[in-house]
Amino acid sequence: MPRYGMVIDLERCVGCRACMEACKVENNTPQGAFWMYVFRLEQGEFPDTQMQFVPRPCQHCDNAPCVKACPVGARYKREEGMTVTDWDRYIGCRDCEVACPYGVNYFNYKSPKKNPYWDWKDPDVAAITGGASPGYDNPDLDEKWDTEKRHIAGGGHAKGIMEKCTFCVPRMEQGLKPACVANCPPFALKFGDLDDPQSDVSHLLRNRRSFRLEEGMNTQPRVHYFETPPKEPAREIERPKTKV
Amino acid sequence: MSIDPRIRGSGTQVDRWLPVKPGTDLAFALAVCNLVVRQDTIDRDYLTKHSNSPYLVQGDGHYVRRDDVEQVWDTIPSSLMPRDAEGIEPALEGAFTVDGVAVRTAFQVFKEHASQYTPGWAAGMCGLTADGIREVARELDDNAMIGSTIMVDGVEVPYRPVGIVAYHVAQQEMGFQALRTMCMLMMMLGSMGAAGGQQIDFSWKVHKNYEGLDKIEIDETPNIHLNKCKFWPINSNNSSVVAKVMQDPGKYDVEFVPETAIIHMVNPLASFASAPDIVKAYKMLKFVAVIDPWLSKTADMFADIVLPAATIEKYEGPLSATDAYIDATALRIPPIDPMFESRGEIDIYLDLCERAGMLTGEGGYLDEINKALKLDDDFALPLNAKPTVRDIFDRWAKSDGTEEGIEFYEREGIKIKGPFAPTKRYGYVSDLPFGGAVHRLYGESLQVLQEKMIDLGVPEMYWQDYTALPTWRNPTMNGSPAEYDLNLIGFKLIEFKQGRVSMIPLLAELAPEQRLDINSKTARAKGIEDGDRINVESHNAVTNETRVIETKAHFRKRSDPTLSACLTTTARWPDIHGPRAKARTRTN
Repeated sequence: MPRYGMVIDLERCVGCRACMEACKVENNTPQGAFWMYVFRLEQGEFPDTQMQFVPRPCQHCDNAPCVKACPVGARYKREEGMTVTDWDRYIGCRDCEVACPYGVNYFNYKSPKKNPYWDWKDPDVAAITGGASPGYDNPDLDEKWDTEKRHIAGGGHAKGIMEKCTFCVPRMEQGLKPACVANCPPFALKFGDLDDPQSDVSHLLRNRRSFRLEEGMNTQPRVHYFETPPKEPAREIERPKTKV
Repeated sequence: MSIDPRIRGSGTQVDRWLPVKPGTDLAFALAVCNLVVRQDTIDRDYLTKHSNSPYLVQGDGHYVRRDDVEQVWDTIPSSLMPRDAEGIEPALEGAFTVDGVAVRTAFQVFKEHASQYTPGWAAGMCGLTADGIREVARELDDNAMIGSTIMVDGVEVPYRPVGIVAYHVAQQEMGFQALRTMCMLMMMLGSMGAAGGQQIDFSWKVHKNYEGLDKIEIDETPNIHLNKCKFWPINSNNSSVVAKVMQDPGKYDVEFVPETAIIHMVNPLASFASAPDIVKAYKMLKFVAVIDPWLSKTADMFADIVLPAATIEKYEGPLSATDAYIDATALRIPPIDPMFESRGEIDIYLDLCERAGMLTGEGGYLDEINKALKLDDDFALPLNAKPTVRDIFDRWAKSDGTEEGIEFYEREGIKIKGPFAPTKRYGYVSDLPFGGAVHRLYGESLQVLQEKMIDLGVPEMYWQDYTALPTWRNPTMNGSPAEYDLNLIGFKLIEFKQGRVSMIPLLAELAPEQRLDINSKTARAKGIEDGDRINVESHNAVTNETRVIETKAHFRKRSDPTLSACLTTTARWPDIHGPRAKARTRTN
């Protein structure tokens, strides 16, 4: 059984946010929800200033607080380690969102039907899109996945459902990399089996310094970053649209 | 090193950020040249053999010529010789006397000219420290490796691992001379066409190119684009200039003004400066057809008819897929049929030309396609029958040596021709180095143009920068009243590189609103808080015109306190989130 993980090379990342868009197209996420998010950070004061870009997917923790917090087992870990949400079981308590220290959970307070732009004949949507062509409506998202055949490809995009990054479960089950990894222009994102010593993620982790986010909280994330975290308080700039 | 008013995305990748003041890149570049000359990081061999640096220059700035040929000073024996004489060793530097007249080599003239542009002088001008500028020159000295070579695929190529990427530097007053100075800097280092160095195109023939540059004529009645006009002899096509000319053709000696326009895959009202001029000019057009995938702002306001265009669902090309080392060609192959009523543009033009009686026969659209695609006689389109677009590219592919024709590209997408031979990649080692071209360090032709412009009575503002050597002058923006205390630039985010993508709602989520980046201390001193709605007013010191836009303040700790930067491309059309920035003009 593979043990999947991701490595993110902060020295390669140029903050282009192609991964955010790739995720959005693949997973048809509602407006304002970015399951893969890239922080654009500035540090210091002019003229001694630095920039850093930090992509942040769900960390798919091995000691996931969200899994422990879920009272009904809707949030669970798959055998290869992906932390996923079965939206048929979901009850809307949002304990997972409260428990997660990374802020990767996105809750649909209202029906996101108009948000992903595929309901494009709707007059309210048309006012936004100008009648332009609809986005890609991914049929995989409505299918059941995993050996137990559960609705875990995202979150169903319904009102009252929590959604987050799944490392693109449908793509993984078809032997593909997550959409963010597949689309990264400078190859800053890599994905593979951490238990396979020949995989590129294992090779990279052996040869470079790495860290994980919020290591002190013992969440044991599956996402590793090269090489060192931002040193001083960093300020976020250029936030996208995050409120609807 | 990043030399930029804004640190941008490259900030994570560079060793040093030099926050140059907008509009002062020429001062910086001249200072680096000054230092490179003083520290003698000069590739004498390249300058002497492959540039016009040895040409002798008279006191009036013109070359010494005999029988129309530029002259050099042969050092062994000391005598005047034509530049193209065999077996000579021209002097690169020095002053000489020829027929009683004092002359200097072009490089000597440049050295003396550059001596005034010290780092201390430049620092005051361009907002960098003198030490920062010295560091650039030192790094170039440490890394230029003048005289070294490296083996590339069995060929010995000069090795100069120094270069400049200067994108859009020309988009400022004196920008052309700023870019030219940077090229001259690379020339002094011998980096042009070297391995690891500045890459250039040397595939044009010497004779035709040189003649073109040295014999630019000024037309008495230029076209609407003002090519070769007395105000701007060296220019590139610019829709904003056309808009100005249309409003007052007499001012520019232009006789013919367009009455109709086909606006093809461009949105001038949203993309080009200045919107009020575009509006006035386009209102004069009697008929406007727009070819576009979207109902653009321009189409909405001006189109009498809109022909919907396909985006990627069409055949298009050939497209170069060549990178630094591999020569490759691609064709755009439609993944699906065009959607709704849209069509590929070649389809549209085939129909338009057919209706207009311009499709067939010599000089018709099909004839032009044959020439543009350089189709062999065996594969040229017959001039009497309308082809399909697929057929056009099938013929091109076969004419280009791909036996399978278009099917190859439909299957593979890209044809890899293979790695470049070093002799085709590096100018130094091509057969006739640099195609036989002599690179221009000293620009006598620019001075010739200036003299012609003066003769024609053109005001100084237009000819002042046509100088043989780049020369600093005070940018006009410094003449604005003191209350305009900040420098304003426009910038784009990487996710909105081109204005045309502002129509895409998914990208609009990433950059939903226009805003002004401003240093937090500077803003607070003006009573502005992060997120406030503000008015930004700019002033043109030449025309005394002011323009105002309303936007939102976005604090940056790391920008220069005197810099404000306006996000120019974002989700503006249609209006998606929040107030749309309104442009108002007030002229005094």
